[in-house]
Amino acid sequence: MTSTWRLAGVGLVLAVMLGVLGLRLWTIQVTETDTYTAVAAQNLIRVVPTPAPRGDIFDRNGKLLAGTEASLAVVVDMGLVEDEFVEDLAQRLSAFLDQPAGDILERFDKANSGAQIILAEDLTEQQALTLLEHREDFPGVAVIPQPVREYPGGELAAQVLGYIGKPSEADLERPDVKGTDVVGKAGIERSYDDVLRGTEGVIKYQVDASRSVLQQLGEKQSTPGNNLILTIDSGIQGQLQESLEAGLGLARDLEMAERRKALESENGDIRTRLFLALEAKQLEAKRAAIEAAAAEASGEDVTATDEDSVDPDTVIEIDEGKVLGSLYPGLPIDNDGVCVPVQRVEVGVGSRTLLSGINERTMRLEAVVQDRSQRIAVVDIDGEQFEVEDGNSFATTLRVIAITDDAIVVSHSDKWCPVRAVGVVEDPTDGSIIAMASYPSFDPTSFVSGLTQAEWESLGTINAFTNFAIQGQYAPASTFKVVSYVLAMEEGIYPLDRPIDDRILGDENTTTTLPGDETGGEDGASEEEPEEEPAQPVPSDSELKPLTSDTDEYLCTGSLRFEFNDGSSQVYRDWKRNGHGPLDLHGALQASCDLYFWEISLRIWNERSDESGINNEDLWQEWARSFGFGTETGIDLPFEKPGLIPDRQWFREEQRKDTGRVRPTGPWVGGDLMNAVVGQGAVLVTPLQLGNGFSAMLNGGTLWRPRVVAEMVDQEGNVVDENPKSIIQTIDMEPGTVDALRRDFQQVVNGPIGTARSAFAGFGPQVWSVGGKTGTAEIIKAVEDVQEVDTAWFVGVTPVLSPEYVVTVVIERGGSGGKVAAPVARQVLQHIVNGEGAVTSLEAGEDMD
Amino acid sequence: MAVTTDGSQISLLRRDRQLRPDWLLLISYAALSALGLLMIYTASAPRLEALGVSPTRELEQQAAFLLIGFMAFGVVSLIKLATIRPWVSAIYLGSIVTLVLVLSPLGSSVKGAQRWMQLGPIRFQPSEIAKLAVILALAALLAAAARPMRWDRVARAVALVALPAVLIFLQPDLGTMLTFGFIAGIMVFVAGATWRQMAALVVAGLIGTVALFQVGAIKEYQITRLTAFLDPVSDVLNTQYNQYQSQIAIGTGGLFGKGLFNGTQTNLRFVPEQSSDFIFTAVGEQLGFVGSLLVLVLFGVLIWRVLVSAANASDRFGQLVSTGVAALLAFHVFVNVGMTVRLMPVTGLPLPFMSSGGTVFVMMSVALGLAHSTWMRRPTLPIERSAAP
Repeated sequence: MTSTWRLAGVGLVLAVMLGVLGLRLWTIQVTETDTYTAVAAQNLIRVVPTPAPRGDIFDRNGKLLAGTEASLAVVVDMGLVEDEFVEDLAQRLSAFLDQPAGDILERFDKANSGAQIILAEDLTEQQALTLLEHREDFPGVAVIPQPVREYPGGELAAQVLGYIGKPSEADLERPDVKGTDVVGKAGIERSYDDVLRGTEGVIKYQVDASRSVLQQLGEKQSTPGNNLILTIDSGIQGQLQESLEAGLGLARDLEMAERRKALESENGDIRTRLFLALEAKQLEAKRAAIEAAAAEASGEDVTATDEDSVDPDTVIEIDEGKVLGSLYPGLPIDNDGVCVPVQRVEVGVGSRTLLSGINERTMRLEAVVQDRSQRIAVVDIDGEQFEVEDGNSFATTLRVIAITDDAIVVSHSDKWCPVRAVGVVEDPTDGSIIAMASYPSFDPTSFVSGLTQAEWESLGTINAFTNFAIQGQYAPASTFKVVSYVLAMEEGIYPLDRPIDDRILGDENTTTTLPGDETGGEDGASEEEPEEEPAQPVPSDSELKPLTSDTDEYLCTGSLRFEFNDGSSQVYRDWKRNGHGPLDLHGALQASCDLYFWEISLRIWNERSDESGINNEDLWQEWARSFGFGTETGIDLPFEKPGLIPDRQWFREEQRKDTGRVRPTGPWVGGDLMNAVVGQGAVLVTPLQLGNGFSAMLNGGTLWRPRVVAEMVDQEGNVVDENPKSIIQTIDMEPGTVDALRRDFQQVVNGPIGTARSAFAGFGPQVWSVGGKTGTAEIIKAVEDVQEVDTAWFVGVTPVLSPEYVVTVVIERGGSGGKVAAPVARQVLQHIVNGEGAVTSLEAGEDMD
Repeated sequence: MAVTTDGSQISLLRRDRQLRPDWLLLISYAALSALGLLMIYTASAPRLEALGVSPTRELEQQAAFLLIGFMAFGVVSLIKLATIRPWVSAIYLGSIVTLVLVLSPLGSSVKGAQRWMQLGPIRFQPSEIAKLAVILALAALLAAAARPMRWDRVARAVALVALPAVLIFLQPDLGTMLTFGFIAGIMVFVAGATWRQMAALVVAGLIGTVALFQVGAIKEYQITRLTAFLDPVSDVLNTQYNQYQSQIAIGTGGLFGKGLFNGTQTNLRFVPEQSSDFIFTAVGEQLGFVGSLLVLVLFGVLIWRVLVSAANASDRFGQLVSTGVAALLAFHVFVNVGMTVRLMPVTGLPLPFMSSGGTVFVMMSVALGLAHSTWMRRPTLPIERSAAP
């Protein structure tokens, strides 16, 4: 074959290649092996990573919010310690660091041969110097600066800043994250982790055969992360947090006052009160006895509390707090007798504890049973036995957090106690967030040193780590009337002009047709509940003419009655039972008249298929969505929630998926839209969304993407990158609408019928420069057994006629907006307008929607 | 040709031959695989132990790959190349598709290069499969070449190799791309290219490489990695570190080596990637020059037997496949071992049958199986007797 010589040629080439390798190996391994052996002996190289300091975070005025301090740490590199020297080294380190030698040895033994152990942190300079001077006595020991995160402001802007911690599985998927790293877990620390982290450096040491360091071979400096400049203003942030905390306290006091009132009216006779007080006394004695017994014989059964030891004739001192607590027997209260929304209770096997409240409930853990992978706890509450697993709710107010081999941790909650206060201050001219907070809060520094399990659970049960400004979804209540307000002005849709003669001020006397669904019922009209059925047209609406302008007056009678063809009826009542009297659109907003806005929704509903009329069922939803409701704002923080603007499509989808959030049968009806326009029903917004939407309405229609980080700067202060302000969309609004809205906001605070008038009474001379809107969500739930309490809202603005600050405040379960939320916002606005010194004490406003 | 003898006689002899495999090839193959397994164990056990996991974990994993590889080798040896030939286009196209897919989000990235492909529970490197596909496709194309070869066929051969080479370049995987070039050169030469055609190919290859540098398509780190080895002290701490440590480790091995588990450099993890790309370092350090030479000799025998199977092939297709396989093996050995002794730059080509890794082992076994299949079906001709041992 002709190719044979070619193959032979190939064979020759390949043989030469292998031959070259052989020769090279001969040179290295035989001729020069001594050289390499010598090099190897000198060439043991140790690689020590040097962590990069995390970038700092500053507020808009350059105040440090999160920084990095160098802490000098003693690091032992086990790869450099010879086996026979280990014990000796442990002794020396023990003397130097004042730690037991045994402990140090144990850690050495546990470590792998190549591991690096951090023995001590926070070394003084003097200690470090001593160690470095006697380096030969401490082979393998190095003093390495370890960056430690610190948050000088403590709880200041905690949920915005977030916290750092060990990387999760998901974090480790990122290309540059190692198991030993620290990464941002929440807030800015998380969303800007890549900017803040920097790049780890490396020091390579040459060590000899006896493994002592000969010299530093090279060093790749770590690159510190970049710094962040926030849009947050520490001063306003501090004021917001202070006011939120005070506001929540106020809300709780008001709640207790309400319980007191109920007590006086229902169980008001002195005997009952004395009886309750006696019980309080006994409870106190019992508690003391249990504690004493527990202290005396720890581990021993302490059920045998001697109740007779309490002398019934003891002088009774009425402990008002305990009496109040008793109104809702067995609910948790604190030492001042004020309600606690949720409390962490831990009990060991065989012991028991008192669940606070006067009708004492004692909880005793009988046993923990291991059932395959599950632990089951047997709990006795006042003689009633429960077998519970992790996550179970039981005995009305309790829920299992954790079960260990010999103890149970439960959360004990009071569903009526005001639980949280959330606030956001935004600059409506560019979407910058000036302050954002949620109380109760936490100190991110505590994550640096590590939280105990109990601390973690305690903070976890009240969700202190969660940024409710972006993650809390609430019914916006009357604050949402502004959407319909803008819609009315822009689209020219006003209520029907009901003849005055037909109406008398008072209850249940304005009658109209029910806003039912299309006849024929594509969703199965025959299945509708009676109250949802289309009504027989009452001789009214079709003959009525609508009002034609925002200044035409509508008579608010306080209620709307709908009659159904089966004779039943339903009444929609205004929050003000007797009505507000004659009002135009502006008055309706200032006084927060429900009826006026219901009438607008009725017009949309009744004319939704009318080609000469409105002919757009989703007109209101379109307006709401245009202001950013129902979708995430896209703020540069993690875990933001979208909120919800309900419509027919959503309603059907929920029914199909059987989520339990809507009626199981029947179509989307006009009543649903009526609920939605007053910010209730299924409507949900986050506090940030609400503030941002208000900002867009107040600035003339520019919906900004909110941001907390303004720019990224390097260590020298040069701007490396920006997080520029950006517009989500522009809404076409008439200047007249914007101006009217601002003036009406001004009237809410200053006008005779304004719902926040009383809350701003003590504001000071500049009160005309502020405005706002109140809201109270009296949760009307589609599903009855979901128990909810009022959410109080206030959105304030200043300067009201050319807005620069929009202040949003929510008090979860806080009662009415005018009463608690507005005073909190008032303090923040006082700080903004007149400075810190102008802030007056927090007092409840009038109970207004 | 001398195939005018009695047909029945030939077929009898053939059947007889089929029962007699190439023992030398089998022994070298098995010896290299076993030695590789041992080296992987010595290189990985201390590290795994330090991590607190079973020290035999990597060993067990590789042993499983060995089993699969052996089976693949056996099966392919028993298949006639003529059976495979109609499928060559499909294999080639399929391979191109996986190369495209691996660049898509379906592929997964390891150390900055997009080389892996997940198919159900199986994860493999399409570029390894592509080597095999290119050998088969080139062999099919060149088997039909006229002698002397016409220029258009040379051009088609270049195009055939260039398509997967460009896709692999995008991963990026320079080592595999160069492998293609080497294999193609050898195969085109054996298929009967003229000297002028060979010269033209070399010039075209050089121009192409320079062009890639000029356009900046080759990343800076690749250039540094390729050139750093030329200057031993330029940058001991970074690019050079691995190779420098590897060279020292091999040098300290001396004539007889330090013995198993006594390789301080390897075992103390101064040498990175010790059980995959740098497995030869473990040989050099622990078994010394004797051990290194043994490995080279075993590879020499293997490559020689594959070339012999090419010389004795019954058809040009089989001959060219075997030639390609020999080139593939030789190039991998040369570049890999050359890398550990700093003759060649770091390119990430594994040492056949010894480096840890499933796709490579199975692919190399299949390649060897193809050559072995050719050998087992060689015609009984006088010429063969003189070439056989």
